[in-house]
Amino acid sequence: MNRKRLLLLNGSPRKAKTSYVFARTIKHLAEKKGHKAEIIHIIEYFDEEKHFDALKDIILPQDILGLITPLYVDTLPYPVIWFLEKLSCDLAGELKGKEFFAVAQCGFPDADLLHPLLESCRYFAKAVEMRWLGGLGYGGGALIDGTPLEKLGRKGKKIISAFTSALDDIVEGKNISPSAQGLLTAKIPKILYRPLAAFLNYRKKREAYLQGVSDADLTRKTYLENYKL
Amino acid sequence: MSLVILDAFDTENLIEKALKNLLQKRGETFFYFKLKEMKILACRSCGACEIKSPGKCVFHDDMPEIMRAIAPGSLILMLTPVRFGGYSSQLKKVLDKLMILVLPLYTVEDGHLLHPPRYGKKSLLVIGLTGQNLPGEEENFRLLAARNALNMQFTHKTLLFTPTDPMVKIEQEIDRVLCEVKPG
Repeated sequence: MNRKRLLLLNGSPRKAKTSYVFARTIKHLAEKKGHKAEIIHIIEYFDEEKHFDALKDIILPQDILGLITPLYVDTLPYPVIWFLEKLSCDLAGELKGKEFFAVAQCGFPDADLLHPLLESCRYFAKAVEMRWLGGLGYGGGALIDGTPLEKLGRKGKKIISAFTSALDDIVEGKNISPSAQGLLTAKIPKILYRPLAAFLNYRKKREAYLQGVSDADLTRKTYLENYKL
Repeated sequence: MSLVILDAFDTENLIEKALKNLLQKRGETFFYFKLKEMKILACRSCGACEIKSPGKCVFHDDMPEIMRAIAPGSLILMLTPVRFGGYSSQLKKVLDKLMILVLPLYTVEDGHLLHPPRYGKKSLLVIGLTGQNLPGEEENFRLLAARNALNMQFTHKTLLFTPTDPMVKIEQEIDRVLCEVKPG
């Protein structure tokens, strides 16, 4: 078997939440198959807790890089774009020829929302001449909220199956097959949007009430207070 | 129409020049923010701006300056180099924090589950300057701008230019689009 080295980049500023849970699962699955995998947190480089210059030595021995990230305002979070810009400026030579994939997750259960983000990952790969193996999108990441997938029952098993299937392709240098995405996709019928909105609003207002925040406070127009035309 | 310009270019650029020329000719007043020169901390997704401090980030940076211009304004213009078929990090640092333009509640509009706007409906004009121009990059950029506008329930337009476009063309295009965008 051809042992591969994978570097998993956690794109979330929250180091122990859903993106990390996904990265950790992919790492374990890769190790179970005899590959080497490590996780780094982009936010530690953004916050200068770790030196970006040290990345060169980390990246050089890797065969495959994978970005695991949440969706922020319809695309990659600011620190992730900063990181990719810096990689393409400073380490394009080191990245050239390696393989790249991405796993993205968003709060709302609709993986279609992740399309612009995954496309940006593909364009990054092209820009630095990495080989794009494809992306996976998971809608509903907020509900996982850092819970280990093994503790999520059927839902967790499905996600693990999707990652296992994707990893089989990734370590062989193949494009991730659509069946892996199929295992991750669960769409809420549009007819349920109104009751869902009502439920979410009830929950948010109750959470606010319990913290002593009224409906009026919740909808405050802070930046119009004291504003004069 | 009150305008707020968020300029994510690192240096002076043709789009900024053309836009300022045009707005001067039209006699429009506007707020202009050169994002590279502003201290905007990254959104940590801490959720404090939802309940603990509704509509306001709890970290101290220059966002309030931008928000005081945007909240009463009707049109937001975002200028950015196209990076990997999307926005540059300079623009995204602000955009990630513009979630305070919407409420932490939900509404259903035209079959979409969305957050209601906190400061009413506005218009968004996104202007990108293409770089490598990889096939499909422009479409992704336009889709991203459309998604942003949908999520904030703004009307929107997108313009894309190349580094070789003459200033007069840029001015004409922006002028045409400014006449079309109206707050939703």
